Amino acid sequence: MSGYRFDRLKILLVDDNPHMRRLVSTILQAFGVTKIQDASDAKQAWVKLRDFSPDIVVLDWMMGGTSGIELTKMIRTSPTSPNPFVPVIMLTGHTHVDRVREARDAGVNEFLAKPISVNAMLSRLVAVVDHPRPFVRTKSYFGPSRRRRDGHEYQGPERRSEHDGAHAGVDAVA
Amino acid sequence: MTKEHPIEIFMPPNILKAKVGGRIAGVDMAAVKRAEQALANLKTEFSDWINTDVGNLGEARDAFAAAVNGDTRSALYRAAHDLRGQALTFEYPLVARVATSLCSLLDGVDDAVPLTLVDAHVNAIRVIVRQNIRLANDKTAIVLTEELDARVREFLEKAKPKR
Repeated sequence: MSGYRFDRLKILLVDDNPHMRRLVSTILQAFGVTKIQDASDAKQAWVKLRDFSPDIVVLDWMMGGTSGIELTKMIRTSPTSPNPFVPVIMLTGHTHVDRVREARDAGVNEFLAKPISVNAMLSRLVAVVDHPRPFVRTKSYFGPSRRRRDGHEYQGPERRSEHDGAHAGVDAVA
Repeated sequence: MTKEHPIEIFMPPNILKAKVGGRIAGVDMAAVKRAEQALANLKTEFSDWINTDVGNLGEARDAFAAAVNGDTRSALYRAAHDLRGQALTFEYPLVARVATSLCSLLDGVDDAVPLTLVDAHVNAIRVIVRQNIRLANDKTAIVLTEELDARVREFLEKAKPKR
């Protein structure tokens, strides 16, 4: 792939639906990703996070047992998390703004609505590689900044507060 | 100035960029075409996949009918949600629409939902798949889906809103 060596990436795919795992895996392989491991639940995913050390996690929101949202919170904040900074791309059929906020507040980097398209998948991969968000630690949140990446430094008065990202980052969803 | 709850903002090293390489402007059309072709090659399996997912929905419905509780309702919602997200990819747009309606029904209220209305959705999905209705504008199926949408709207309007 011109410009990107996606063959160097390790991606962990977490979804309890085998068809969705196969679909996403097929797209990633076509992009050149060869090191893909999958997990059908959060427990398996946690082991693979440690043993496989993925560069990116692609996970489904809606899973039996521990949900994708809960798993993301564990990745970001658990004292035993293998990598609290790993980029998380969340797959979901939810598109309502409240659900998007919930995903952002859990520490998700990018949000990918189903049905999944090839272009959308590529753009989320490129986003986490080319436009990583700074990380924010507040009393109530740890994870990627929930504010829009617009490429311009904000010059106005300070607006961020303890509650900032809970409301500020929704418009950053691509 | 000291804050009561300091906010720390920092940029972790961009290991991914170092690993994957630099950016070249524009979308890599060859990679996109490759991926689209790979998906097209999967199409022969979509009929089996949708039948499996519809089977899972039926099993979740049976478990829900046998014992209405949070677990069986969640499992039914997840099965409907899977179809909502995937049926369009599997080229059954009306299945996606009916599954969306079922998700709205289950997600819209905390109260019990009528099993007859759940069954109407599950049976509609079965019929659409069995009759291999792939067109989004199939007239009979649209009448059916519109009726389901209306019944769900009517139920949700009367039910206590979700807390």
